[in-house]
Amino acid sequence: MRTNPDARGLLQIAASTFRSDVLPHVAPEARFAALMVANALDIAERELKGLDAAGHSMLGALALLYGEDADDALSGDDLRKRVEALQHRLCIEIAAGDFDHEGQDVLMDSLEAIVQARLGISNPKALG
Amino acid sequence: MHVVKASDQSPPSLLSGDNRVRLENWLAAQAGASRVVVTEDGRLGGGAISLNLAVTLDIDGGPIAGRHACVLRAEGGGRISASIGKLREFVVLRAAFAGGVMAPEPLFACDDPAVLGHDFYIMRRADGLGAGHAVTRSEAAQPELARELGRQLGRLHRITPETEGLERLGEAPECPAHETLAQYRRWFGDLGRRDPVIAWGLRWMEVNAPLPGAVVLCHRDFRTGNYLVKDGALTAILDWEFAGFSDPMEDLGWFCARSWRFRRPDREAGGIADRADFYAGYEETSGRRVDPARVAYWETAAYLRWAAIAVEQGLRHSSGAESSLELALTGRMLPEIELDMLRHLRAIGSMASGAVEKVA
Repeated sequence: MRTNPDARGLLQIAASTFRSDVLPHVAPEARFAALMVANALDIAERELKGLDAAGHSMLGALALLYGEDADDALSGDDLRKRVEALQHRLCIEIAAGDFDHEGQDVLMDSLEAIVQARLGISNPKALG
Repeated sequence: MHVVKASDQSPPSLLSGDNRVRLENWLAAQAGASRVVVTEDGRLGGGAISLNLAVTLDIDGGPIAGRHACVLRAEGGGRISASIGKLREFVVLRAAFAGGVMAPEPLFACDDPAVLGHDFYIMRRADGLGAGHAVTRSEAAQPELARELGRQLGRLHRITPETEGLERLGEAPECPAHETLAQYRRWFGDLGRRDPVIAWGLRWMEVNAPLPGAVVLCHRDFRTGNYLVKDGALTAILDWEFAGFSDPMEDLGWFCARSWRFRRPDREAGGIADRADFYAGYEETSGRRVDPARVAYWETAAYLRWAAIAVEQGLRHSSGAESSLELALTGRMLPEIELDMLRHLRAIGSMASGAVEKVA
């Protein structure tokens, strides 16, 4: 049974209420903790909302190296497992020295895109 | 609402009741004094790993009679892999202070659990502003501060593994790059096979490892945020808990890493000035030239080290060892650190091959 509002909706309103109605009134000694709470709520909200989109971005980034494995239809756990499997494969190839002499430009593009997808959830401000 | 911070944790009150009396008696014996009174002045920051308590010692009699503003540093709840323990930290501080480095003067160290239950030491308290965001707020660059930090680091790096009293720190590494790499592999464990950015960083370090050169006492957390500034001038270098023997260029790479530039990523020396100012101060006192290619190598190592520490901090929370929002959020910093490393690798791309004599 689906409840309304769902977890994402609750988190969203809790985070925005916390920022607008609570944070301005927090005593100085609790401000650091309050900012951390706001930050954690924002990350959780972005993750609930954007995990699949980030997964597809990562898959797209890995497709630069492994074109045949990209699949737009995946979602949820299946998507996560596919991304993990490809990342594992890439780790093995990197450690084996496959990129020591060639392919570094494509690898760097792919790694940057992977990190940017994750940053979009944990700290989009750092993307700039 | 109560939010638990790492620095709020164990022990609940270090100087309550019997503890204070035991500490005062122990200090009196150490100081050759007839009486010591300890007054607690509150907690200090930087307590994610250690517990820092501001105390005033009123010492009656003995060679250091008088009133002393001090910091009591005790082992925190959860020590992380990179830290060396309070007694070794004390030994390092003593060597640095004796070497003319602006470290707080270490006064007493205690490894008797009967006193406070934890290893701890007491050092003089320095005055000034430490927070990275505050230090890098200034509109104008601070070349003189960067130069002075370079001079301080240069003095520290004159201390070699043969220095008396440093036996506690263990053997100096034969090849700092390879030892560091092996250590990182242990720290990352399985993550090196799951996160391709970490895998690439480790591979890059392996392929580009420089031949061993000088090995000296390194601070290993020498950065903006870990020194104090008052009226624009340096007053103290803090946080010695990661110190150890390594390639001197490791400390320079760490200092210049983007992670510690706070408000001013454009000022490559710690967010306060240009590298040239910092390097010039270093060359004044260290007796060696800065090797930019080696610094670049160790800057890559710096991002990996910070990444490993962040991951470990996150796990301290997630594993249930120490429930803390601060630790949890530190774990979430990994992609940011990784992006900084990738930017750095892009920037040095052209010099990565051949600029340094390599092991591999």
